This record gives sequence, C-alpha cells and structure tokens, in this order.
Amino acid sequence: MSDRWRRIGGPGSLLLVLVLGAALWIAPSLDGLTLGDAVTDGGGVDEALDDLEPSPIVLVGFDPDLGTYAEIRPTVRTLLADVLARDGRIAVVSLTPEGRALATAELARLARGEANAARLFDLGFIPGAEAALVDLATGLTTSGGAGGQALGRELAEDGMDAVDAIVVVGGNDLGPRSWVEQVAPRVGNVPILAVTPTILLPEVQPYVESGQIAALLGTVADGAAYRDGAELGNLDRLTEQTEVAVLPILIGLLVAAVAMGQALGARIVGAARSREREVS
Amino acid sequence: MTGFFGEDAAGTAGTWVAAIATLVVLGSLLGERRLFGWSQHLLAGLATGFLALLAIREVIAPRLVDPIIAEGAARPELWAGAILVAAAATVPWLPRRLAAVPISVVVGTLAAFALGGAVIGTIVPQLDATIARPGATVAGTAAGALAATATGLVLLGFVHGVPRGRILTAAASAGRWLLIVGIGAWLGYLVLSRLVLLVDRLGFLLGDWLGLVR
Repeated sequence: MSDRWRRIGGPGSLLLVLVLGAALWIAPSLDGLTLGDAVTDGGGVDEALDDLEPSPIVLVGFDPDLGTYAEIRPTVRTLLADVLARDGRIAVVSLTPEGRALATAELARLARGEANAARLFDLGFIPGAEAALVDLATGLTTSGGAGGQALGRELAEDGMDAVDAIVVVGGNDLGPRSWVEQVAPRVGNVPILAVTPTILLPEVQPYVESGQIAALLGTVADGAAYRDGAELGNLDRLTEQTEVAVLPILIGLLVAAVAMGQALGARIVGAARSREREVS
Repeated sequence: MTGFFGEDAAGTAGTWVAAIATLVVLGSLLGERRLFGWSQHLLAGLATGFLALLAIREVIAPRLVDPIIAEGAARPELWAGAILVAAAATVPWLPRRLAAVPISVVVGTLAAFALGGAVIGTIVPQLDATIARPGATVAGTAAGALAATATGLVLLGFVHGVPRGRILTAAASAGRWLLIVGIGAWLGYLVLSRLVLLVDRLGFLLGDWLGLVR
C-alpha cells in the first residue's frame, strides 16, 4: 500500500462511514427502494413449513459466524417466531463455540420476549465437529439439555424420529453442507432448511438445486421477502422491528463500484501505456 | 435494534460497552491502532474465557467427569477421553505413545466421517442431480451440460507444469477466466455482505445506543 493511499485511505473510509450513517439517519426507508420484491420468493421456506405436520418439532442447528450473523439475524428471528406461530416446537443445538454463544443469546432474547418456554428446548453444545453430527443423527440425547419437559421427553424417547424438520443457521464451519453430508443420509426424509449469509450462497446453492436442501434463505433479498410474507400474529414481538436500511447499502455499493472501477481503469491505462512504450 | 440486550441496568451497561468497542474498531479508520489493538486483545481474551467455560461446563464435566464418577469401571472409553483431555493439556508426565492413541483415533475418525460424508452427501448426489435427470427439459439438459463443461474447463485450469498442446492450453486458459469470473461474482456477494454488516453496526450506534433511528 502506498503512502499516498495510506494518507487518503483513513479520511476516505471515515467519510464513507459518515455518509452511510447520515443516509441511515435521514432516510431509514424509501418507497420503491426495498429489498424483498417479486423476483425473490422467500426461498421456499414458507411452503416447506406449510408441508410439515401440525405442531412440528424443528431441530435448529445454530452455528452462525459472529462476523456475518448480523446479516441473517432478522431472518433467523423471524423464522424462529414463524415456527412458534405455527404451533411448532424448537430444539436448539450448536456444534461450534461461536454458534453456542449466539444460540445462548438468542434463547435469552426469546425468554425476554416471553416466548412459550414449553415449546423450546436447549440441547446445548456438542463437541466433535462431523463426529458430533453423526452422534446427533444416530443417538440424539437430551442429557444436560434444558427447556420444556414434555418436548425434552419426546426427544429423549424418539431421538431424531421425533424431528419433523431441520433448520440450519449457517455461517460457520459446520453449516448446511455438513448437515447434508452427515445427517441427511442417516435420518431419511427429514427436510433441511437453511439460513446462510450471502457469502455462502455459491457453496449452498447446488444442494438446493439437487433437492438436498428443501429451502434456502441465502441472500439479503430472500430474507427480506420471507420476512415480508411471514404471518406471525402477536409473536411479531419476537422479531426485529427495524428493517435493514437499503439506501446506505446502495450508496456503499456505488462507492465500491467506483473504487473498483478506478483501480481497474488505472490498470488498463497502465497496461496500454506499457504496450505503447514497447511498440515505440 | 439488535435485541441482544435487555432494558435493565445490565443491558444498558452491555449496550455501552458494545458501543464503545464498536467506536474503537471504527476508530482504526482514523489510524488509531493502539485502542484497536486493545479491542483485539479483549476479543481474544473473551473468546478464550468463553471456550474454557464451555469446555468445562458443557463438555468435560457432564460428558466425562460425571460419568466417570458414576460408572467409571463399566465404561473404559471414558478413561481414553480423560487421557485425551490430559494430552490436550500437554501433561508432560503422560507417555507420548499413550497420548497418541486417543488423538489418532479422533483425527482418523473425523477424517473418515468428513471423507465419507463428502462422497455420500455431496459427490454422488451432485453427480446424480447433474447427470441423471429423467424427464428433464431441453433447457435443463443444456444448463447441465454447460455446468459440466464449465466445471471441466475450470479443473483443466489447475493443470500446471505438464507439457500440453494448443487445445489443452486454450481450454485451461478458458477455465482460468471462468474461475476469475466466479471469484468476481463471489467478491460482489462479499461487498454486499460486508456493507450490510457495516450498516448494522451504524444502526446499532444510531438506534440501540443513541436512540436516533427506530
């Protein structure tokens, strides 16, 4: 990095942050500038949840990444509220320490929001990466878990047979791909739904195309479309009331495009000049 | 509103600490590296403490110590687990050959599960979905063929150091360009993703902390 770039990099970055902050403050929402639109359909999650048995048990593999969770957080909260709104019951398990930290925070938030505690069960943290997933698929145990007693008993008696659907909140090492590879072949026809940050889309999309993942919320737009269509009733209190501001994202993308275009243009000009010198 | 903190005193304190940490990290944009370094130490320390707590409370105590106390004689595999914990803690008096056994089992098991899962859960089903498509439309078949061609070209792009002819060289070059296009698209996702995170942090400062944006 050159000294000149170092000199302008700091103030330039700060200016960008200030502009984004101002845009966030002045125009939190603009008509016609929305994330969810007719192009996205909410990733098919609504339909996948509709297909479940009444009062389903949904196992949530909660392993997002601390660095990208903010992107999927509103969608995850809406999805959890949606399952509860359908009289569903939720068992949460984490296989990574980061996931466990965030799962604990989300369960605490649900408790503060007075979600029905009988419909929640915390299976805790299971160490062992892929081996833990196999262990979970072949012998789900509730020892050390906490939450609704009836739900805990049902899970203890029937193990994975009691589970009607799996929701994988991805972002960390053990994401939807690991669940598809380790759990899906061992549990039969339990549909896997996934919520992942955009950066994982190229990794997860092939599993959606092959039908191994029943539904995916893998982009910001998918998440927004799903949140728009979710009917939560009074459980709306469990979701984030503030939507992602689109204008700052748009401004940031334009700035990024200009910066990249400037770099690309400089490279092309440099290459042209160097060829000109060679010719002359 | 991130909703991670309640409205009690502890929640307010948490919001202030998080806001100050966010400002310190954003302050690195102005070149303030010392405070930023401290925030990294803070993150590393908190993560280490959390890991230790997690390991003791949710793994070692309930899954190892309690069962050994309750039925240690009947479950010899738990003693292997205890040796593994001791080995992980680099107990110097433990013979290396003894400590190597459970570690080898762990590494081998993980590798076997990962490899087996990749074959059963990814390679075979993905090949099946790409190649075998009963009743597929012409467009679908064409898309599958295109995907297979692109995959082949990209794989050829990784061929290095082998004498090759003009056709193979051209195919490898096309594969590398396809790879660049793919990485470019992925970088686009990355920019969008990071902007959402930045906006979320700014929203936290303006909303959760200052109460200006609701």
